[in-house]
Amino acid sequence: MEALGINPGFLLVQIVNLIIAYVVVAKWIVGPILGMLEKRRETIAQGLEDARVAAEARASAEKEAEKIIAEAQAKASAVVRESTERAESAARDIKAAADATAAKAAEKKLAEVEEERGRILGDLRGQVAALAISATQKLVGESLDEKRQHALLDEFFSGVKAGKVVVMEAASVSGASAEVTSALPLTPAEQESVKKDVLAKSGAAAVAFRVDPTILGGLVIKVGDKVLDGSVAGKLEGLRSNLR
Amino acid sequence: MEAAAAKLIGAGLAMIGAIGAGAGIGIVASGAVQAMGRNPDATGTIQTNMILGIAFAEAVAIYCLVVALLILFVF
Amino acid sequence: MTETPKQRVWGRWVVLAAFLVGVYLFYVAKIPVIMPEVLLPAEEVFHLGGFPITNTLIALFFVDLIVFGIAFGVSRAVASGKQILGGISGAVEALIEMIYGMTEGTAGKWAKTIFPWFATIMLLVLVANWMEMIPGIETVGLIHTSEHGEFATQQIGPFLGIVKAEGEGGHALIPYVRVVSSDLNFTLAIAIVVVVMIQYYGIKSQGAAYFSKFWNVKTVFTKPIFGVIDFGVGLLEIVSEFSKVLSFAFRLFGNIFAGSVLLFVIGSLVPVFAQSIFYLLEFFVGAIQAFVFGLLATTFMAQATQGHGGEHHEEAHA
Repeated sequence: MEALGINPGFLLVQIVNLIIAYVVVAKWIVGPILGMLEKRRETIAQGLEDARVAAEARASAEKEAEKIIAEAQAKASAVVRESTERAESAARDIKAAADATAAKAAEKKLAEVEEERGRILGDLRGQVAALAISATQKLVGESLDEKRQHALLDEFFSGVKAGKVVVMEAASVSGASAEVTSALPLTPAEQESVKKDVLAKSGAAAVAFRVDPTILGGLVIKVGDKVLDGSVAGKLEGLRSNLR
Repeated sequence: MEAAAAKLIGAGLAMIGAIGAGAGIGIVASGAVQAMGRNPDATGTIQTNMILGIAFAEAVAIYCLVVALLILFVF
Repeated sequence: MTETPKQRVWGRWVVLAAFLVGVYLFYVAKIPVIMPEVLLPAEEVFHLGGFPITNTLIALFFVDLIVFGIAFGVSRAVASGKQILGGISGAVEALIEMIYGMTEGTAGKWAKTIFPWFATIMLLVLVANWMEMIPGIETVGLIHTSEHGEFATQQIGPFLGIVKAEGEGGHALIPYVRVVSSDLNFTLAIAIVVVVMIQYYGIKSQGAAYFSKFWNVKTVFTKPIFGVIDFGVGLLEIVSEFSKVLSFAFRLFGNIFAGSVLLFVIGSLVPVFAQSIFYLLEFFVGAIQAFVFGLLATTFMAQATQGHGGEHHEEAHA
């Protein structure tokens, strides 16, 4: 043992030294550092927990915010829709009122114009008849029976002969409504006889009268979707196509 | 002087036993490195066990060393 | 981390200069190189009140100084309440954290009880081993006159050196400081304390049941042959406890002692530079041995706390 350098005294010194070192290391190194590690671990765990809580809170806040935004958006869109509807209906009302007013004014104007035209054409008819008779007298050289001439002219313009509408003689038509067009306005008596005749023949409920100088004379009667052309223009046209 | 020479030879011969320990440590380390290569996640455990195994293998060499020292310095 | 490239370049020049000085001293000025005498026991340097003080005791004093200094520094640093320790305290903290993780893995709930031993052994042995790195240790000392000294003295510059004796010797070198791990007293002391503590923790954790590991009579009468084998294995455990002391003590001693002898031999063969490589090796070996000593102590203590009976049954029947 002595040759290996093992000596009980030194051994004892070393053992005592080791125990002292143990106490020092355990007390001053291991204790504080393990305490610190423990504290650090706790701090980290606490931090993670805090982060988790914060993340949760943020998530719920985000959800809340989303909900609020969605509600606000829904409300806003409802308000917009309602106001749009209101504006549209108001615009529609205004437009309808304006339309109605305009239509009324236009109708009134049209009626006035129509009346004026009818009056002027009526005046014209008398003059045209006088002119035609005098022209004929000059051409023919002899005076016809004035009364007969007037009847012929009337027949020319109104297409009514002996209280009967000429074009309706042979035709058979039927319809819900009838429209009668003449070159010059018909007299109330003529209108009355045409109306009676047309109503009797076609079975229509009402008759409307129009004036169109381009047909020159006679009557064009439109019943339903059928047109009976008894006008002078129509006859001339037929004559022209026959002659050709 | 003959006794001294014999001592030296004997100490040298005693250390032949370290061959086994060397081979053993090599085997242990090889196995541990292979294990770590296959399963790197277990490196910590393998390392600890490798050091333990090396320590046990080395103990044999240490007995050789003790015998050699005893021959050299004690007898 | 504040080390600039400039500093590193400066360090390289120092290395080169040291290399050149070494070449000059040993190959131009022809300073004689010798292999120092290898002695197993620690040498006496002086007497203090009748008690002989060896050079390893002086080394132990320095080791204690360093360890206590570290301990003081760490406790101060931790007490200062800083979250992050700097410098040596930080390094010690990292080391402690690492080996504590390992202890937790092996010892489980006994980790806190066993761990201070791991830390103590690790730090003490590590500092002791790394002392070998300091130049002058084991080479500067008293020139001692004795009849069995093998060296002659020679004046080398301002220093008195020893050289190989041509005929008459009579001189020997006693280093002032010798690495404490190369003294068997130190390693044996740690080994004995560790093995005693292994038994202590075994008894503390298992009570009287711990002794059934050694005196295993449970199965002697119930199992015909294996019971007797179990009993024999139990007796062998007693031997193994003693061999633990031996292997603990001689593992550390052998590694460090052989390391210093290796450095001597290399230094005497190639005086310049070659030793540096082996210094690196010794640095590594010193760290590994300190770690292995601590880890083995921890493992054995942990095993003692966990109980052996069941495991040995299985092993015996396997």
